[in-house]
Amino acid sequence: MLVGGVSGRTGPHSLPLARIKRIMKRSSDDVRMISAEAPVVFSKACEHLIGVLVRRAWAAALRRKRRTLLKEDVAAAVANTDVFDFLVQVVQQQPK
Amino acid sequence: MKQMLPPNAKISKEAKETMQECVSEFISFVTAEASDRCHKEKRKTVNGDDICWALGTLGFDDYAEPMRRYLHKYREVEGDRSASDGQNTRSSNFGTGDGQMLFDDMDRNNPSTSTRY
Repeated sequence: MLVGGVSGRTGPHSLPLARIKRIMKRSSDDVRMISAEAPVVFSKACEHLIGVLVRRAWAAALRRKRRTLLKEDVAAAVANTDVFDFLVQVVQQQPK
Repeated sequence: MKQMLPPNAKISKEAKETMQECVSEFISFVTAEASDRCHKEKRKTVNGDDICWALGTLGFDDYAEPMRRYLHKYREVEGDRSASDGQNTRSSNFGTGDGQMLFDDMDRNNPSTSTRY
């Protein structure tokens, strides 16, 4: 049922499908069965998300005259992008 | 991640972890919405269409249409693969290198994502 997805690591153009599927199952009690195509679609969608986040975070780092991307730059990217409102809590969590 | 940045850029471990958490949250967020729709329509299986619908509903308009096209192509490839059962000339790694040519069409239409350092 599952498409290939041999790579267990994040590659240039794919995320591990099994991991995506695990996260999907955890997201809601309503989630029962997941078609093989759903994690594949997410893999691509997540690439785009990462692309947007990284580029915006990088812009924040450059504004602060740094070439090392820090968590606060990711937080700035989230704060500056309306559609990332759902991530505000994620970037505010303090590290362990 | 690093491929999207200039060669002299660095990413802190904390930033990487935060990005990963953001991706996880994104998947959960969209899946919950897709799953809710399935539940209301009394369907048990979350499929690609549900994900695409959820992306559009949640404000990821830029993603919804390209994902629909991607899904359409994926279904074509998989359809061909199962039709030529036994020959198996196509790689099963749709989501990896062999699927790259199918991504290009989407990336061409979206110049902001086609930049690679």
